[in-house]
Amino acid sequence: MTASMHPAPAPTAVVADDERLMRDQIVARLKEAWPELLIVGEASNGREAIDLVRSLDPDIVFLDISMPGTDGIEAATALAGQAHVVFVTAHDEYAIRAFEQGAVDYVLKPADPARLALTCQRLRERLTQAPDPMHDLLAQLSQRLGATGLEPREYLRWVQASVGATLRMIPTSEILFFRAEDKYTRVQTQRFEALIRKPIKELIDELDPKEFWQIHRSTVVRVDAVEQVSRNLRGNQVVHVKGSDEKLEVSRSFNHLFKQM
Amino acid sequence: MSADQRSMGGVGAAEPGGRESASRPMGIRPAFREIRKGVVVVWWAFFDWVAVVSWKALLLVSLFCLIIGAGILQLPTLTLLLIIGAFIVKVVAGGKRRADLTANEAMRRAETERLERTVVEARMEALQAQIEPHFLFNTLGSIDQLIQTDPPRASKMQQSLIRYLRSAMPQMRDGSRPTLGQQVGLCRAFLEIMAVRMEGRLQAAVIVPEGLKSAVFPSMMLQTLVENAIKHGLEPKPEGGLIEIAAEIVDGQLAVHVRDTGIGFLPKGDGGVGLANVRERLKALYHGRAELIIGVPPAGGTCATIRLPYEVASAPG
Repeated sequence: MTASMHPAPAPTAVVADDERLMRDQIVARLKEAWPELLIVGEASNGREAIDLVRSLDPDIVFLDISMPGTDGIEAATALAGQAHVVFVTAHDEYAIRAFEQGAVDYVLKPADPARLALTCQRLRERLTQAPDPMHDLLAQLSQRLGATGLEPREYLRWVQASVGATLRMIPTSEILFFRAEDKYTRVQTQRFEALIRKPIKELIDELDPKEFWQIHRSTVVRVDAVEQVSRNLRGNQVVHVKGSDEKLEVSRSFNHLFKQM
Repeated sequence: MSADQRSMGGVGAAEPGGRESASRPMGIRPAFREIRKGVVVVWWAFFDWVAVVSWKALLLVSLFCLIIGAGILQLPTLTLLLIIGAFIVKVVAGGKRRADLTANEAMRRAETERLERTVVEARMEALQAQIEPHFLFNTLGSIDQLIQTDPPRASKMQQSLIRYLRSAMPQMRDGSRPTLGQQVGLCRAFLEIMAVRMEGRLQAAVIVPEGLKSAVFPSMMLQTLVENAIKHGLEPKPEGGLIEIAAEIVDGQLAVHVRDTGIGFLPKGDGGVGLANVRERLKALYHGRAELIIGVPPAGGTCATIRLPYEVASAPG
């Protein structure tokens, strides 16, 4: 970076935290610990932090991890290599464990002046080098914090459905089964039934296969809600569900699901 | 079910006669004992079947036996005796046996349910006791900062925190049944703290009629809804928004709403742990007479409602 090539201009920093009081505190304590450090900008979310760092080009950015919209990890990923990053966090055992591997520093809130002095000492030494892009650390952190799309597929945990005239979020754990009905799919719980527009065919892709089984072209049942499986007079398997009198027929192509039962 | 019974019926009805005649020619003692054992097993299977089978099915099987026994095998007396015997067994023991079986089943189910409830309660208590470390450290940090810049406000915020901790820590709660008034007070303390921290980003309103404050309301449920609204609804929204706690009587039930104008509910998010906890506790405490509804208002945001039986707490002694 150009800044480090000039003979010792005052080091600069941007501080990002969504709570102004916490920002004020970091700024105030930094002033005591490192009077020459110039705070050139303050941001209240990750987006602002990215914009400020790109326009002001500071040496250091202090990033709170949990911020609305773009969080600290995402901001650091976007700013990789542009500034030395110090994370600020109230409580994050994951983050702390990762930092202990030594790539960058972190500050625990509320900032302890003695600890912050140590951080400043480290930063002074580090300023002569180019900022670490921290690829490994960030990937590890975002995986642990679940910040980006690195984690395995996410399934529906809630279904938005209309009950009478109102819209509701129904947790999948309360649903007994889904059944195709004309243009709609009926969502049956122990207490009520609701309707959604999504056809069974699309729904099944979004549901956790460990939680829900399709047993018929038009029926998807929650496995834990199955009380017993019997056979009807025609020899077809029929699923009885806890909390509902409705019997759900299993079509032949799904018979294998209940083989052991 | 019906298929099982039918096949069992076949064994029970056809074999006793057949075995009885086959046992004579063997003559050897161990074989005789084996056969006796077999007969006993078959007899009890037959007894069980007769006891639980419907009258109609019994009649049908009898008719069938009559045709085979009297018509084809030419043993009308034996068959008739067997049928009359079966009917006597049915009359004398049927009711009792069936009651026994149902009672056993019910007891087994009750035991499982009791165990489940104990486990749920234990888990609930552990969950209830949790005060988010994040919340605590951030609040202490803010107080620390205010002590430097605005001591009177620092003192006010600390008082809010003390009020919050007093009612949020399980060991600080007294034994009496919690009321809506207490729970709203706790949430107010929490909202005061959050309003200082989030500044202009959080506006809060509490619309709870004085008369409803004495209603019984389980501890820490409203708190969970409020925390959820802030954490998953308003905090992620850069411009923040409004949160409102309201209570009313609807159809004789107490309904308490927590509305927010946040980012709304994400169907794939796993922010539902707290809500699942509330739902399970309601189930354990009210046995299906209470519910948690997550509504999606047309204007956006989320509206969480707890509905439960309206009951006034007895006046504190």
